[in-house]
Parts: sequence; C-alpha cells; structure tokens
Amino acid sequence: MCIVDDFFIYRIVRHFRYHLHVMKSKDRVGIKGYGAYIPFQRLPSTEVARVWKGGGSGPNLEKAVASIDEDTVTMAIEASQYAMKMAGIEELGAIFVGTESKPYAVKPTSTIVAQALGQHYTLAADLEFACKAATEAVQVLTGLVGSGMIQNGLAIGVDTAQGRPGDELEYTAASGSAAFVISKFDKDAIASIDCSTSFVSDTGDFWRRAQEKYPRHLSRFTGEPAYFFHVEKSVRMLFGETGLKPSDFTYAVFHQPNPRFPVEVAARLGFTAGQIKTGLLNPLIGNTYAASSPLGLAAVLDEAKPGDKILLASFGSGAGSDAFSFTVQNAIEKSRGVSPTVKSMIAKGTKIDYSTYTKFRGKLTR
Amino acid sequence: MKAYVASVGLEKVGDHWSESLLDLAVGASLKALDGRKVAPQQVIVGNMFSSAGARQEHLGALLASSLGLKGIPAYKVESACASGSTAFDVAYTMVKSGAIDSALVVGVEKMRDVEPEEVSLALAMAESVEYTQFVGASFAALNGLLARHYMERENVSRDELSALPVLSHANAVTAEHAQFRKAITPEVVARSAMVADPLRLFDCAPVGDGAAAALVVNENAIGRAKGGLVEILGGAIATTEFSVYERKDMLRFEATETAFKRALGQARLPESKVGLIETHDAFSVVAALSLEAMGVSKRGKAPSDAKEGRFNLDGDMPINTFGGLKARGHPVGATGVYQIAEAYLQLTDAAGKNQAKDLEYAVTQNVGGLDTSAVVHVFGRAQ
Amino acid sequence: MAIQFWRIRDRYYRLMGNRCDDCGAEFFPPVYRCRDCGSRHLADKDMPRTGRILTHTQLHEPLPGFESQVPLNLAVIELQNGARVLAQIVDTPQEKIETGAKARAVIRRVQVDGDSGQILYGYKFVVG
Repeated sequence: MCIVDDFFIYRIVRHFRYHLHVMKSKDRVGIKGYGAYIPFQRLPSTEVARVWKGGGSGPNLEKAVASIDEDTVTMAIEASQYAMKMAGIEELGAIFVGTESKPYAVKPTSTIVAQALGQHYTLAADLEFACKAATEAVQVLTGLVGSGMIQNGLAIGVDTAQGRPGDELEYTAASGSAAFVISKFDKDAIASIDCSTSFVSDTGDFWRRAQEKYPRHLSRFTGEPAYFFHVEKSVRMLFGETGLKPSDFTYAVFHQPNPRFPVEVAARLGFTAGQIKTGLLNPLIGNTYAASSPLGLAAVLDEAKPGDKILLASFGSGAGSDAFSFTVQNAIEKSRGVSPTVKSMIAKGTKIDYSTYTKFRGKLTR
Repeated sequence: MKAYVASVGLEKVGDHWSESLLDLAVGASLKALDGRKVAPQQVIVGNMFSSAGARQEHLGALLASSLGLKGIPAYKVESACASGSTAFDVAYTMVKSGAIDSALVVGVEKMRDVEPEEVSLALAMAESVEYTQFVGASFAALNGLLARHYMERENVSRDELSALPVLSHANAVTAEHAQFRKAITPEVVARSAMVADPLRLFDCAPVGDGAAAALVVNENAIGRAKGGLVEILGGAIATTEFSVYERKDMLRFEATETAFKRALGQARLPESKVGLIETHDAFSVVAALSLEAMGVSKRGKAPSDAKEGRFNLDGDMPINTFGGLKARGHPVGATGVYQIAEAYLQLTDAAGKNQAKDLEYAVTQNVGGLDTSAVVHVFGRAQ
Repeated sequence: MAIQFWRIRDRYYRLMGNRCDDCGAEFFPPVYRCRDCGSRHLADKDMPRTGRILTHTQLHEPLPGFESQVPLNLAVIELQNGARVLAQIVDTPQEKIETGAKARAVIRRVQVDGDSGQILYGYKFVVG
C-alpha cells in the first residue's frame, strides 16, 4: 500500500494552507447501496403548451408526475427500500431527507422513513436547500461516517416539484426520488466518496415564501448569476485543489433544471457530450428538484464500471452548489439486478393529459 | 314454555322527513301494543347506527320512557344489519325461559337525517375500521368483491343474478309497507348504475327509514287469548371469521349454515318442511349465498333457481314475500324485525295479496356484515 | 383519527402481520389467536410483498375522503405466504386488473384527514 496517497498529500497541503475548501473525511467513506424511484405518470410538455400556449412544446419531452396518492414521503420510502436492500445492512445511524415539498411543514419526513425501515436509534432530519438538499445530506453523512460517529447513513433526495400553472417551470417541475446508503469504505462499497466542495452565496433566483403554494423565480437571472456561477465555482475549486481534470472522469452529472443548462455548463467545464449523456434525464422525466442530480448519479451507477470516476455537481437555488468526485469500485458488479434501474423506471411511464395532471397534483380544489 | 309473537307493528319503509327516529319507533310500538292488551315487561331495541345517524344512544330507555313504561328493563342491542333479529332473539330466549313473560322488540333505523356519504361511513362500521374502512373499502365494495368471486367461481351470469332483485320487486308491488312498489325487468337491473362492479344499483338494497315492532309473549302473558298467535319454534345466532376474505372458502356462509341447522334443530323441524324464507337480500349475491347455505339451492344455483321461478310466491319455496330488503326496504337495524313481522303476517293469513298458500312453517334469516353474524328463527302456527 | 393511524403504522408501512410460533401460519391483519391451531404464541412478521389477485371490484360510490380517487379499484390479494390482504390497486390499466394477476405492494397515501389533519401512509398494490 502506497503511503504517499491522496490523503497524505492532502494532509501536507493542509498543514501549510489552512484555507482548503475541498472536504475529505478522515476515514474513507463510500456508497454501499442506492435506490431510485420514478412515478408511473408522464405529462408531455406538449400538453402544458397546448393548455397555456395553444400549441408547441417545452424544453423537455415529458416529465414524471406523482400520482394522486403519492408524495415526498411515499417516494422517499420506495427509493430507500431499494437502497437498503442493495446495501444489505441492518442499522442506520442517520437518515436525512433533502426536499422542498414536504407534506408537513412541521413533522419530519425522515422519521416516517425511519419507522418504515424499522430504524429508531438514528439521527433523523429533513434538510432544505432547494435542489441541493440531498447532496448536502451526502456531505453531512460523509462527516458522520468518516469521523466514526456512525457506521451507516441514508441520504434521500425527493420532491414532488410544483410549477405555478402556466409558468414555464410547469413544463419541467417533476417528481422522483433517489436514496444512497453512505458507509465506512470497505470491500462492499460500490463507489468511494473521494472528496467534495460546497459553494454558497445569498442569491435569490428562485424562492417560495412560507405560506405560498407555488414558488416564484426570476427569468434570465436564474442562468449566469445563479446556476452557472455556483456550479462553476464548486467544480473549479474541486479541480483546483485536487488536480483532477475533466478527462479523469468517465461520467459527469449536473443538476438539470432543463435540458440546456447541464449541457452548457458541461461544455464550459471541459466535459464532452458523451460524458454527460447517461446522467442527463431531464428530457425524459423533467426536473425532480432535490432528486435531480441524485437520480442522474443513480443512472450512472446502473452502468458504470469499476475504476470509473464520476463528477457530480448539484445546484440549489438560494443559492449553492456541491461538487463531488466518486470512484466506482469492484463491488458494483454485485449490485446489478438488485433493484430496478433508472432506465427501466423511465420506460414504465404512461402518458396523462393536463386535466388528469391537475387533479393529481391538487391544482383543482374540491 | 312456549313463546309466541302476539302482534306486530310496521311503519312503511321510505323517506320519513317528518318523523324522527323516536317518532318511528313509537309509531311501530303503538301499532303492536294496540293489538294486544299486554304490558311488556321489557323493551329491547334493535338498531345499528343511531349515534352516527341521529346523534342518539340509550334507545331502550328512551323508547320505554316515551311509551310510558316505567320501571322495566330496556336496552339496545346492536349487531350491524342483524340488530333487529338479534334483539328479537334476546327477547325470545328470555320469554321462552320464563325469565320474563312479555317483551316489546322494536327495530328502528333513521338513515335519511344525514348525507349518503355519512350513511356509507356508518355502514362501513360493520367491518374492520383499521383494515377495511381505512383502505377505502365500503360495505358495498366488499359485497362487490364477493359477487365477482361468486360469479367467476360458480359461473353465474349477470342475467341469472338479476332474477333475485326482479323477484323482490315483483312481490313488493302489492305490499303496502314496501319502499319500492314498482316491478322491474332483468334489463333494468343490468343497465342500472354501477356501484361496486359487478354489483349495480338494483343489486343493492336501498337506504330508507323504518321501524317494526313485535310483541313476544309466553302462555303466562297471553292467557287464553290464543287467536293471532304465531309460535316461535326455534332461534339461533352464529358468528364466523370477521372479514369475509379471512375465510378459506369465501362463498360458504358458515354463520347462516350453523344458525339455520341449530334453529331447525330446536324446532325439531326437517328442512323439507320449511314453506317460506325471508332471506337477507341486502345485495343480490348475499341472498344467493344465503339460500345456498340453507341448502335451498345447490352451490351456485340459487340465481338460476330464482330465474326458473322456484322462489316466486306461487313457487315451491317462496322467498321475500313482501319484497325483501331490496324492495320492501332495508332500514338496517330494523330489517330483522320486518322479516319477523312479515312471517307473522303470513302465518296469521294476514298477508293479503302477498299471501303464501298452505303455509305451515316460515323461516327468517338476517345477517350482519357479510354473514359475519347470522340470525335464524323458525315460526309455525300456534296450536 | 391520528391516534388510530399512529397505532397501526408499522402494520401499514411494512405490511406487518404475525406468525404462529406453533404451527407457522401467517396472518394479515395480525390475529390474536392462530386461526389454524388456536395458539396465542404469535410474533410480528413482515408479510411478503407479492401475491395474486383473488377477486377485485371497482367502487363508484366512495367513502368520505376518497372522492378524488373514484372509481376506486380494490382487491383481495393472496400473498405468497397464504395471507390475504384487502387493498387498493393503483397505477394499473383497468384491463390488467383481473383475478389471478400478479401484484406487488407499494407504499402510498392511504387516507388523508382533510387539509390540516394527518396522513395515513401504507400498502397498496400494483399489478405486474
């Protein structure tokens, strides 16, 4: 075993520069299992356009819509059950649900997930940071696991995203979930969590006041000053301090509010279309908010090979971005077939029309 | 001791907007009491959901007090849709044993004071709150599940099943106390709105208000006045696994089977002597399975037997002679007493145009839930 | 209703019935006495989440609170361990809901106590 590894260099650099922004845990940490859930219904963007514009379509083909009896809690549990099955562990020390569409403003989603998984001696909390709440959960769990405080933690990204009727976000605001079991790194780890960065600023590109039903957002402002600024900051910081470059990665997954932004930011950062293809789901399922980049990661893990490196950069309005480097491990081969793949769940969609969609998503009051 | 039904009182089943639950109960009671100069030593009320339907409990004392009967025991008995006959069975048992000499049994239900959804919720309380109500299964839904199972397993056609409500309606045309007095055809049944498929509107007993009373006496109470008496020859109650889907054979109404055998055993009556049955057609499938459980029809054959006319008023086994639950009506807690009152009218030759000929013995069969509780009584002419 | 929901949440989230320690029979909902051998030695157990439809119906007259789901598909599903569950069938084309069809459990909102009350989550089934 080589003593002069990444972490050794890191400790040396850290010794001289106390202002390091890349986070690495003391003990190595990995993903032991993951799960995804995409609901059955699909709303074509042409349907939204038909109602509000008399024709045409949105930037994506379709979006996944939660059924009338689904919500953030149900989807979180579905994805978690798959993740736990794959990880094959008995106990969790922490459960974090990252979401901005909790059914209860006060009453944690995470305790319902805990109960459904039979977990009680566990830290449980709901995190909110728009679409990056789940990736923050991964960072927090990396700390908890890496410090030895807990053995296994569960991070879930889940949303039943709502778009104001007639607003352009209605094309893409979608439902879905992804869950990851974060554990001490061992031979059963599917991927190692090598390092991550986080960059935030007070930037109000998209927001929802406490009593409001639908969010509001600025238009062009959501691009450069929000999405691009923060994603480029977190990724470039990760590159800068680790020496990693785009060609080191087999896959790159970005937060995907629409099909265009992730393609554009990938190009700016030096990634190719081929690298982002597998993790780009927005055209088919829309923007699943806190599940957006996590589902992209799950799609990548469904086919990645041992040794592949994955870059992931989330973006949460308000605003911030978390960037990660993962390295796929040998144990990933054992994970195949344990849970349904993201591809298979996308394929199981059935189209609905706009009126059914409004009924499902409570836009028609009864 | 012998026990008898000495008189009955029936309110017409229907929408009694101007009468309260108590008004109806008193009305039926007075009709029964006026027929006889017997002071009841006990009042027993059969009712399922006076709480949800009228915000009223303590019905026994309420009725006794309203009738000016002071100092006697009075209470309510509840067993879902079998409440009426269960109340009657308690009275029968006590009077036959001589513990008391006379009892007034009143079945009453007020279903129209609340909206249909509330009625649906109240009826669903006959089934498990946690595992049936909570999942969204109404009482009609359970019967729909049973009906599909019956039709698929026993190859019963829609047309055959329709024969049962058609027969009920035919009998109700001349029944003065019946809720619906219009004849229907199998097409009417098959084209009616779907409730819980395959059950349609006309497969299901209606919602309605009603009250029926029966005066139960023994020799001590009635003395020499033997006219207008119907002897209660036997009675039995049986219960079985609570939810229909828990039973190994969902199509076997074991509670009815057991209660029927036991009641006939008490009456020392062979099945072949039964001349008429008031059976529980809350849903057409329930009537079919009840008749099969009582051995009247072979398994899967009750609907086709009905179609062939076996159960007509002039057939070899008349059933539901005043329209049954479907057409006479089904004010749920009162139904059991209506059935008993109708058997009384038959055996005292007071059934008018609905009179079954040459009748010696009649059976009433009343059910709670999906044959979760079954109550069977056997009646004969007083000797 | 919140307390009645709370009391049965494990049953609903995990399809948890019980198993007779003496004869091995399994039940859902849980029983107080074994239906087969009468034993009172029963232990909680999660039921298998797949089975076949034994019978089904489509309800057009809903109970209060279920109006937005009309017509409601309900079925008795016989699970792989012989236990039978009464549950809704969801997210399934009507023609695929038939006696004998394979079904698997999912977790959904089962009942909602209005806009401000609590939500009962639990089992429903999807064909396939």
